[in-house]
Amino acid sequence: MSRLPWWTGGILMSGLLLLTFSVFGADRPIGASTYVPYFAGLVFDLSPEKYSYLKEIQNPGAWEGVMLLGALFGGFVTSVFITKSFRISLIPTGWKKYKNNSVLSRLLWSFVSGFFMIIGARLAGGCTSGHFMSGMSQMAISSMIFGTVVMIALVITGKFFYNTKEK
Amino acid sequence: MDVRIITDGQDFASRIAQMFETVIHEGHGSLALVFLIGIIFGGIIQYTRVDKFEKIAGFSMLKDTIVPKMLFLAVGLTSIGLYFMVEAGWAHYHIKPVIWQGLLIGGTLFGISMAIMGKCPGTGPVSIAEGRIDVLVGAIGGLFGGLVFTLYYDDFFKALMGKSLGKLTLPQFFQGHEHIVVLIFGVVVSLIAIVIPKIEMFDEADLSQLPEDERPDRQ
Repeated sequence: MSRLPWWTGGILMSGLLLLTFSVFGADRPIGASTYVPYFAGLVFDLSPEKYSYLKEIQNPGAWEGVMLLGALFGGFVTSVFITKSFRISLIPTGWKKYKNNSVLSRLLWSFVSGFFMIIGARLAGGCTSGHFMSGMSQMAISSMIFGTVVMIALVITGKFFYNTKEK
Repeated sequence: MDVRIITDGQDFASRIAQMFETVIHEGHGSLALVFLIGIIFGGIIQYTRVDKFEKIAGFSMLKDTIVPKMLFLAVGLTSIGLYFMVEAGWAHYHIKPVIWQGLLIGGTLFGISMAIMGKCPGTGPVSIAEGRIDVLVGAIGGLFGGLVFTLYYDDFFKALMGKSLGKLTLPQFFQGHEHIVVLIFGVVVSLIAIVIPKIEMFDEADLSQLPEDERPDRQ
């Protein structure tokens, strides 16, 4: 089978979360947005001594950075050997169908949304992994607020940004 | 085992080496384990195809529900399992504080961006790993977002986030009934995952690579 059903994915993800939380694993939650400002610090050679935010995220940023390298490797191997979905592409099929055929438009929107996505995640203190999955699993009120706000903003944007009528 | 790496340099390679060194010494699992967690994380996301534009942007258009179904199920199961692991002393809670402004402004920006890019910071790298250049461009945008946030954190973003109301959790509001609250939460959230109707948007460009009998849209 070349696609895992959603419930198998949910069970496996739950197992991975529990392993990561456990003292036998990493004794911390899974997160996937702190590494971005951490990498920005590495790439642009910013000193943690000078920027208080970098000092704050030094440990979680490095942890997520290494985890991300694993995710790139795991994603690459799975896409080549199992789902056979590896291919170089500039524009998603769904974008062509519901937005437009312009590669430039897709790349510009990607860049802009990537920029604000990270600002948003860092303002809220987490993303889909850190807040939604790890946070709600701990029944954190902050994560439930985040999850609700994101879902509402996501669905409203989807309604107005894409042309979904009669397709 | 005492690991020694020369990480005193100032060049980019040394800074990457310092990242590995930090992980080795911070005590949240060995370097190999953290990398392995990443491999499994990427593998699950890739194998279930939730990193696809059609799954995440598709959910924003309400034309695909695989992402919320999988997320809610993972949360429901983990909440119950984790609670008992914490009770047994096998895990700890790491709660994020309630910061209203940060959560509202950040969550709104995040939700809008997620609908447009069709990725989030965890699924994006998996998409890049399968060759999506548009997502790589988005990640470069994200890198600049991280840069701006770091540069103006003290002067602007910290104040924008507002004051923390503390690390609140749902069971804290039901003192003495924590067990039952956790159980109800876990079961209800898992049920939500099951009850959400399954709708799927497929990408012909991916499916055409598969043999006829393995295509999920023909089953």
